[in-house]
Amino acid sequence: MIKRGSALLTLLTGLALALMLATVPQESAAAEKQRKDMVLKGDANCTRCHDESEEVPVLAIGKTKHGTVADGRTPSCASCHGESDTHANKPADAKERPKPTRVFSKKGGTSPDVQNQACLTCHKGGNRMHWETSLHASRDTTCTSCHKVHTQHDKVRDKQQQAQVCFTCHKEQRAQIAKISRHPILEGKVTCSDCHNPHGSAGPKNMVRDNVNDTCYTCHMEKRGPFVRTHQPVQEDCSICHNPHGTTIPNLLKSRSPFLCQQCHEPTGHRDNPASLTGRSTSANTIARGCLNCHTQIHGTNNPADASNERTFRR
Amino acid sequence: MTNHTRPFTLTAIAAAMCTAFITAQAAENNEISALTNPDSTIQFGLGYVDSDNGRFGQYNGLNEKGAYGLLDADIVKRDDANGRWLKFRARNLGLDNRELRFEHEIQGNWGYYVDFSQTPRYEPYTVNTAVTGIGSNSLTIPTSPVTTGSAVQLKTKREAIGLGFNKYISDTLDFKVTFKNEEKDGARLWARGTSSTAGIPVTMLGRFEFMPEPINSTTRQLEAILSYTGDRLQLSGGYYGTMYNNQYNAIFITGGNPVFSGTNFINPVALPPDNHSHQLHLSGGYNFTNTARGTFKVAYARAKQEDSFLTAAQLTPATPVAAGLPANLGARVDTTLAQLGFSARPMPKLSVRANLRYEDRDDKTPLFRYGNPTAGNSTYDGFNEPRSIRTTSGKIEASYALPMALRLTGGIDYDEKHRNTSILRSVSFRNKTDETAYRVELRRSMSETITGAVAYIHSDRGGSPFLFNTTLNGGAGSNQLAPLHLADRKRETMRLTANWQPADPLSLQFRFDQSKDSYKGDRDGSGIGIKNGEAFNYTVDASYNFSERWQATAWYSHNATEIERESTTFSESRFLAKSVGLGLRGKPHGKVEVGADVSHGSYYDSYTQRLGSTDSSLPDVTTRTMRVQLFAKYELQKNSGLRLDYIFNRFSTNDWSWTNFTYLDGTTVTQAPVQKVNFLGVSYYYRWQ
Repeated sequence: MIKRGSALLTLLTGLALALMLATVPQESAAAEKQRKDMVLKGDANCTRCHDESEEVPVLAIGKTKHGTVADGRTPSCASCHGESDTHANKPADAKERPKPTRVFSKKGGTSPDVQNQACLTCHKGGNRMHWETSLHASRDTTCTSCHKVHTQHDKVRDKQQQAQVCFTCHKEQRAQIAKISRHPILEGKVTCSDCHNPHGSAGPKNMVRDNVNDTCYTCHMEKRGPFVRTHQPVQEDCSICHNPHGTTIPNLLKSRSPFLCQQCHEPTGHRDNPASLTGRSTSANTIARGCLNCHTQIHGTNNPADASNERTFRR
Repeated sequence: MTNHTRPFTLTAIAAAMCTAFITAQAAENNEISALTNPDSTIQFGLGYVDSDNGRFGQYNGLNEKGAYGLLDADIVKRDDANGRWLKFRARNLGLDNRELRFEHEIQGNWGYYVDFSQTPRYEPYTVNTAVTGIGSNSLTIPTSPVTTGSAVQLKTKREAIGLGFNKYISDTLDFKVTFKNEEKDGARLWARGTSSTAGIPVTMLGRFEFMPEPINSTTRQLEAILSYTGDRLQLSGGYYGTMYNNQYNAIFITGGNPVFSGTNFINPVALPPDNHSHQLHLSGGYNFTNTARGTFKVAYARAKQEDSFLTAAQLTPATPVAAGLPANLGARVDTTLAQLGFSARPMPKLSVRANLRYEDRDDKTPLFRYGNPTAGNSTYDGFNEPRSIRTTSGKIEASYALPMALRLTGGIDYDEKHRNTSILRSVSFRNKTDETAYRVELRRSMSETITGAVAYIHSDRGGSPFLFNTTLNGGAGSNQLAPLHLADRKRETMRLTANWQPADPLSLQFRFDQSKDSYKGDRDGSGIGIKNGEAFNYTVDASYNFSERWQATAWYSHNATEIERESTTFSESRFLAKSVGLGLRGKPHGKVEVGADVSHGSYYDSYTQRLGSTDSSLPDVTTRTMRVQLFAKYELQKNSGLRLDYIFNRFSTNDWSWTNFTYLDGTTVTQAPVQKVNFLGVSYYYRWQ
C-alpha cells in the first residue's frame, strides 16, 4: 500500500514532470532563447544577438509605445530596419557582417529620405503633414536626428530637456536662451515646440500657428487687440522689435530705447533726441524704461478718450 | 519502506529540477521584464538656497533664502494585455514652477489627459515704493515724493489647466480635442509719464510716476481636430478658438503729482481689452507617387475685440469723449490663409520642393473719429487705424546629388507684403514691400567622418514708393526716414557648418554664419536712418569619450550683432555675447554616477553715439553670468539611491538703466549688481515597474 502522503508526492512528481515536459523543448534552453520573441512580433531573429549586453541594445523598445504589442499597429524590427537577411545571416564569403537594410545613423549609408520613410509609413498626416516640404526635411534632418526610439525616455519629447536636443544644431539659440532677458526655457516652462513645429507647418519658421503673431498670442493674447490706437509693427510681426530667443534688453527687446524706436520714427522733435542718462522729460529716453516711460501702452491702447496722449500710447 | 522510497526520490529530483528550472525561468523572465516594461520613478528630498536673489529664482521660485521641498514623480503603468497606459508625472512639486499631468489611454483606441502647470515670473528688480493698491486697478500715488516706501516684490504667476481627449474612430479616422485655461495674476513694472514741466522739482530726473500694471486675466484655447489618414491621402481639419478676458479694463489713480492734470490728465489708463478668435482650418497631403507629395492648408479666422469702452463718467470730464462714441471698438479681423506645398524626386539624384503661401489679414474694424485734433500741424486726424496686411510668399528649390555624398541645392524665396495705413501718419510708410532671396548650398549629410554644409544667400528687399506724409491742414509732414521693416535692404549671408569625427572618441562641430545688411534708411537722400547691420556668429563644440564610463563636452559660442543709424547724431549699437560651457559625465564606480556642467556668459552692449566729432557714447553695459552645476548619484540598491545636487549661480552687471533714477513719487527700482547664490539639494530616488 502506498500511503496517502506518498500518493500525493507521486502526483506532484508527475505534475512536475509533466510541467517540465510541457515547458522544456527538445532543444537546449539556449536554443529556445534564440527562437522566442521578446518584445515585438518576430523579433527573435534579431534579439538572439541584440540583447542588452550587445553593442546595439534594443530591448528597451519594449518600454515604449512601439513596444506595446497589444496595439496591432506596432511595428516589427523589420518594419523599420528592413528584412536585413544578410545582416541576420552573414554570407560565408563576407568578411564583415553586412549592415541591416536600413540603418538610422549618418554612418550607416542609408539616405535620410529612406530613413525617414520608415517612420513616415506610419507617422503620416497630423502634425507631420508638412514634413516633406519643411526646411528640416530639405536639410537632410532625419527623425532619429532628434528622436531616440529604443528608449523609454525620448529627450526631445521632454519639456525640460527638449531644447538641449535642438541645440545640437541650433547653436545660436543655445547662447541666446542663456541671456538675462529670456523665456523660461532653462526651467523647462517654455520649450522650442511651444512655438515651432519641427515637423513643418504652414506658417513661417515652422511656427505652430499660421504666423508669428498668432503663435505669440497663444501666451500673450493681451497684445492682440485690435485697439483704438494701434502700433503698426505690433500688428504685423512681434519679431520686428522682440527676439523671442533672448536678448540683453528687458522684455526681449532687440535693442535699447531710444535706438530701437529711432529705427522707424521720423527724426523730428523729441524723437531725434540723443540717448541720455541725465536728461529729463522727453530727453529721458534711455534711463529706466526709456521711451516707454511715457509711451507705456506701446502695444496699443483701447482708451477712447478724445485727448492727444491716447494717440501716443500714454494712457 | 521500499514502496515509499522510489516516489519520494523521484519527487525530490523532480521538485529540485522543477524549482531550479522555474527559478531560472523566473529570473530570466524578471530580467526581460525589467528590460522591456516601462519604469516608474519617484524622487524626493530637500533643497536649500543660501541667499535672496533676483535672477537665479526668476522663473523657478528659488528667489528667497531658505529650504524647499523637492518632489518629482514619473509613474507609468502599462497593461500588456490591452495596451492600457496610466501615467502620472509630477515635477518640482515643492517649487513655484510645479507641474502635474495624468494620462490614461488604450493605445490605438482612446486616451485623455489632465495637466496643471504653474509658471512664476519674479521681477528681478527690487522696487521700493509708497504707491499702494499694487496688483489692483485702483492705485494711490503720493502727491509728493516719499522716499520711505517699502520694498515690494513684483511678480506674475501663470496657472494653466489643460484637458485633452483623443479617439481613434477607425483605422483611418481619429479625433482629438484639447482645452487650456490659463490664469495670470500679479503686477508688472509700469509707469505713467508727462512732458509737462509745471511744478516739477528740478532735482527730479523725470516726470514719471510709478504705476504698476495689474495682471489679472484668463486665456482659453480650445482646439478640435478630425483627421483622416490614408495610404496616399491625409486630411486634418478642425476648429481653433481663443479667448482673452481681462479682469480690469483700466487703472484708476488716486493722488499723484498735480502735474498729471489738465491736458496731462493721464488717468485712467486703459488696460488690454477682452478679445477672442475663431478659426476653421483644413490641411492635407497627398502622395502622388512614392516620391512626389503635395500638401495644403486653408484656414479662415475671425478675431473680434468688442470689450466695452470706459464710460464717459469713468474718463472724467477732463478727458472728453467724441460725440456719438460707440459702446466698443467693434473690432473685427478676418484672416484667410491658403498654403500649398510640393516635393518630388523626379530623378534618383534630383529632388525639388516648392511652397506657396497667401495670408490676408483683413482688419474690418469700423472707422470712427475718436479724437478731434485742431492743431493744423497735427499728424493725427482722430480716426482709429485698422491694420490690414496681405502676405504672399513662396519658395522653390532644387537639390542634386553629387559624388562623394555631396548635394548641391539652389533655391529662390519670395515674400511680398501689402499693408494699409491711415491718411495721416507720423511714421513713413509704403504700401508694399517685396523681398527676393537667392540661395545656394553644398551639403554633405552622410559620412563616416565629416559632414556639413556651406551656403550663400543673397536677398534684396524693395517695394512701392513711400507715401507722402501730410499734416492735418494738408501741409507737408516729415518725409525723411524709412522704417526698419520697410526700408530697402540688401542682405548677404554666409553659413558654414561642419561635423568632424577625427577619431572614434572625439567629435567636433563648427558653426559659422555672417550676415551683412545694407539699408537705404533715408527717403530724401540725406543719408539718415538705418544704414548697416551685421550679425556674426561662430560656435565650436567638442565631445570626447574617455571611456565607456567618462565623457566630456565643451563648447564656445561667439555672437555679435550691430546696427548703425545716422541722424542728428550717429549711433551704433553693438551686442557681443561670448559663452562657454563644459560638461563631464562619469561613473567612477559601479554604484556612483557624477556629472558637472559649467557655463559662463559675458555680454557686452555698447552704444556709440556721436554728434559731429563730439562723442556722447553711453557707458558700455557688461553683464556676466556663471553657473556651476554638479550632481552625484549613489546607488543604494539596484533600483534606489541618493542624489546630491549643487548649483552655484553668479550674476553681475553694471547696467545703468535704473541707477540714480527716482520716480516722481519717490519710487526707486534697483538690482544688486552682483548676485551669488548657492543651492544644495539632497534627494532619494526609487525606481520600480
